[in-house]
Amino acid sequence: MAETIWRPQGRARRSTRALRVRTSAAVLAVVVSAVLIVPPLAQLDQQAVDLAAKLQPPSWAHPFGTDDVGRDLLLRCVYGLRVSLLVGLVAALAATVIGTAVGAAAGALGGRTDRLAMRAVDTLSSVPHLLLGVFVVAVFRPGVWPVVASVAATHWLSTARIVRAEVLSLRGRPYIDAAVSGGASRWRVAVRHLVPGILPQAGLAAVLMIPHAMWHESALSFLGLGLPAHQASLGGLVQGGRGSLLAGHWWPTLFPGRLLIVPTLAVAGLAGAWRERRNPRRRSELTL
Amino acid sequence: MLELKDITAGYDRRAPVVRGAHLTLRPGESLGLLGPSGCGKSTLARVVALLHRPERGTVTLDGHAVTGFSHRAPRSLRTAVGVVFQQPRLAADPRLRLRDLVAEPLRATGRRTEAAARVGELAERVGLGADLLSRRPHEVSDGQLQRACLARALALRPRWLVCDEMTAMLDASTTAALVAVVEDYRDRTGAGLLAVGHDPVLLGRWCGRTTHWNEIVKD
Amino acid sequence: MTPPATPPPVLSVEELSVRFRMPAGRYVEAVTGATFALAPGESLALVGESGCGKSVLASALLGLLPGNAETAGSARLADGLDLLAADERTLARTVRGRRVGLVPQSPAAHLTPVRTIRSQLEETVRELTGTRPPALRAAAEAAAERAAFPASHLDRHPHELSGGLAQRAATALALVGDAPLLLADEPTTGLDRDLVLRTVDELRAHTRADGRALLMITHDLAAAERIADTVAVMYAGRIVEITPAAAFFGSPGPRHPYARGLLDALPERAFAPVPGAPPELGALPPGCAFAARCAAADQLCRTRRPALTGGVACHHA
Repeated sequence: MAETIWRPQGRARRSTRALRVRTSAAVLAVVVSAVLIVPPLAQLDQQAVDLAAKLQPPSWAHPFGTDDVGRDLLLRCVYGLRVSLLVGLVAALAATVIGTAVGAAAGALGGRTDRLAMRAVDTLSSVPHLLLGVFVVAVFRPGVWPVVASVAATHWLSTARIVRAEVLSLRGRPYIDAAVSGGASRWRVAVRHLVPGILPQAGLAAVLMIPHAMWHESALSFLGLGLPAHQASLGGLVQGGRGSLLAGHWWPTLFPGRLLIVPTLAVAGLAGAWRERRNPRRRSELTL
Repeated sequence: MLELKDITAGYDRRAPVVRGAHLTLRPGESLGLLGPSGCGKSTLARVVALLHRPERGTVTLDGHAVTGFSHRAPRSLRTAVGVVFQQPRLAADPRLRLRDLVAEPLRATGRRTEAAARVGELAERVGLGADLLSRRPHEVSDGQLQRACLARALALRPRWLVCDEMTAMLDASTTAALVAVVEDYRDRTGAGLLAVGHDPVLLGRWCGRTTHWNEIVKD
Repeated sequence: MTPPATPPPVLSVEELSVRFRMPAGRYVEAVTGATFALAPGESLALVGESGCGKSVLASALLGLLPGNAETAGSARLADGLDLLAADERTLARTVRGRRVGLVPQSPAAHLTPVRTIRSQLEETVRELTGTRPPALRAAAEAAAERAAFPASHLDRHPHELSGGLAQRAATALALVGDAPLLLADEPTTGLDRDLVLRTVDELRAHTRADGRALLMITHDLAAAERIADTVAVMYAGRIVEITPAAAFFGSPGPRHPYARGLLDALPERAFAPVPGAPPELGALPPGCAFAARCAAADQLCRTRRPALTGGVACHHA
């Protein structure tokens, strides 16, 4: 038989996706390792005030410049990012846990529980996030935990909705019927079939919520309701640099602001690629 | 004895899809229920499998009047009816390997220890090769997946079987093979069968008696 | 006037193979060396059990294979265009709908649920024929008429249609571009017996009378018998028999043992399954893929793969 000449088929979308994934992962790795490694190794004190070197534009000695009391902005930004990431991570995790629990319970139990839970979600959603956040922060003293609580309390709503919808759609599948017919208890159906089914969605929601929570935290800090001044997060840094902006000093606001955007885009890039890969239609294409 | 009296069922109270259905099956009997698609025969099959609560009417299973359906039905009653659905893709949890799919009813009813041996035996009975057992649903064909779903339905040795369009997606050879598996099981255990479908030739060949949807619903 | 020469085939497939690249450098050979031709007005039914590669063949013809697929051979339309070599742009702009019409497996899923049949037909007519309002309305109605879709139901949404009418709506859409080749992928799965017969009769009418060719992929032998001029039986990615339908379903019957077994499995006949299971497409045996299940298999069958000669690929036919 003559030699068979094979030609590739299908669209070459894979390569651009791979590039996006690699770039996002690399950026995220740099950011995370920076905030993990730099603070313990740093010789400098981020609080070191040097009034002689105040408001210097970016240079080799101070790549991000210095602020109005002469603190190195690069170092301040790394510390700020550390706080922002921590708050974002913990708040997103808490919001996801609350949202998944409420959504799964509403979807799986149905009936009155469902109606009650969803009305509560609707009611809370109708209050502006920031207002609710301000209220939570106002009740406590400024610090990391009130901010986390405030962000978590306002962000579990969307997760609850997503998870509930997912559970409802799974509940109607014949394989749930088959499990019930095979003697599975409610608990077993939930743990064995429903929860694994919603985990990818919930996980994606959680990851996408990290940047969301970071922005929320920054907004609170920018309003002066977030963390105390010595524990500056990125939002706090932007707030701090605002005063010098009018005098033409752009660097104290620009760099912290940009640093907020970078991890956001990286996370969105990774999450988008992951969702594309999980898309059941694309996966089922291989089914013979 | 499996008896349905005056069953009205559906998903919307104002427009039930099944109205006043009557059905009686003696132990060991096989009944083919013919009807056009969308007539409500799948809903009736779910009622018989105790998965769907009818709005009106009574279901009696081996002398027990069934008062609860789905999770509200006692486990011993639920597992007395094995059920196979039309679309194996939707009837299999996409995350489970076929081995776990077949073993699921055994584990759910606390028979973990016998699961491994029993899965092997069931797989052989339905003609599922050992290498297929370690695959997930998206890695096998419709026919192979339906074999696994039938094995799952037989795992708890039900006294009744409900096959809702079990072979609609399958080729002639797989159809004949699965029907042979069901009949072999019934020969050994004396289980009763309700086969729902739309092919009079198939159900006529398969079941002892066939009836048409129009004959079991009142209006 | 000289008598017209035999018209060129609408589709001629030669040595078409499809394989999927799997992790660890393995390949799954889904289709191997498929060769057949379709004349104008001819209906060919491609039958075989699920997983034998027939749907992959259809996807290859429509350029809808996933990214890890590789193809070999050719599938030429009457004008010489090779469907396997054409780029996505050519396929989208000049092939799908225009030169190859697709009759889908589940019409309910194929139709857009939120729009009426009329709006979907009008959109397709506008895209494929360039008809503009005010002629568009009449053109869409004519398209519906051709597939016997009642004009009274044009303003309904897909969920308001019965299975039969949804199938006709999908057929109407497939016919709009007046494609010389219709490709029907399991068009009767899940339909009632009466509806199966009506659907294939309608497809038949659009084929023979209008000089179109039809390639129908199905596991339903009764539907194949009703519609086909030619039957091609696929097993483990290869066409093992290709025969005129009358000879296949009537006398002398299929010649390949697998085809015979498949036909004998029908409830109208012996209702006995072919023993055993098909081999894995990723690990095909060196000889005839059916040998392990075949009563007539001998040493030759297990070592040498039979070629498709005289319409059948069997050492003993």
